Amino acid sequence: MNGWILAAAVILAGGVGATVWGVATGPLRRRVVAQNLCTAFACPALLLLSQGYDRPSYVDLALVLALLGPVGTLVFARLLADELADDPPSAWGLTYAAAAVGALVVPAVCVAAGPSRAMAKLLFVGVLLIGGNVVASRALSGGFPEARHG
Amino acid sequence: MADAVIVVALLLVAASATAAVAARDPVRQALVLSVLGVVLAILFTVLQAPDVALSQLAVGSALTPLLLLLAVHKVRRRGRREGPRR
Amino acid sequence: MTGRTTLLAAAELLAWWAALAALWLVLISTVDPLELAVGAAVAALGALAARAARRAVSAW
Repeated sequence: MNGWILAAAVILAGGVGATVWGVATGPLRRRVVAQNLCTAFACPALLLLSQGYDRPSYVDLALVLALLGPVGTLVFARLLADELADDPPSAWGLTYAAAAVGALVVPAVCVAAGPSRAMAKLLFVGVLLIGGNVVASRALSGGFPEARHG
Repeated sequence: MADAVIVVALLLVAASATAAVAARDPVRQALVLSVLGVVLAILFTVLQAPDVALSQLAVGSALTPLLLLLAVHKVRRRGRREGPRR
Repeated sequence: MTGRTTLLAAAELLAWWAALAALWLVLISTVDPLELAVGAAVAALGALAARAARRAVSAW
């Protein structure tokens, strides 16, 4: 049990726990945002677990999640566009919290990996995480009007 | 003491699975199932089964909710089309 | 097709190939000749697909 696994446990218990509660209760717009933030919290947790268990292959899990999580959110944003149009979801507080967690975790694991191809892979996962988060959040708040009637 | 993270993952799986069963509307259930997929993948990771977690991510985070939502979409559209005729 | 168009197409394919091959190099775990060969082939296919997709969307 080292610091990395402890940090991953804290992020899982706090962040993903909050999203599980948020997706189970409340109005539709809170549930959709919670589903989006679940990926944003789980991806840094997977990066920390990869460092904690000393298995670089676990970074592939974070990579796949950083790609598929926003795809899931886009699916919901597209197929629920009508119900969300009158009540646009916005939870910028939690979104910034998730972004802060990602911004703290990615440099930390990059430093631990040392300058190498592994660090380039971690940076790529970080870029995908940020980009996917931005795209998914914009799609949820109805920011792609040309895609809604497509 | 790496068991703490396993306990956390198990509790999360229990909570989201209960929430998935308790959700009545298929659309809300699809949202909870997406979160359940991610949480299951995390559980498989902490139990040192990353290949299972990879397959779980591929299926559970995007595919299962998509299938469910498409089915709901089709059923609702057909119901709306046949509705006024009845 | 004029000479300039061919040159532009070849340059674009080369740029896509370079980017995808670099991405492959970053993502694989061990670097050995088999991985390099597979990466070069896959990056070539990906470059063709990317150029076709870009021309189909023609938004850029």
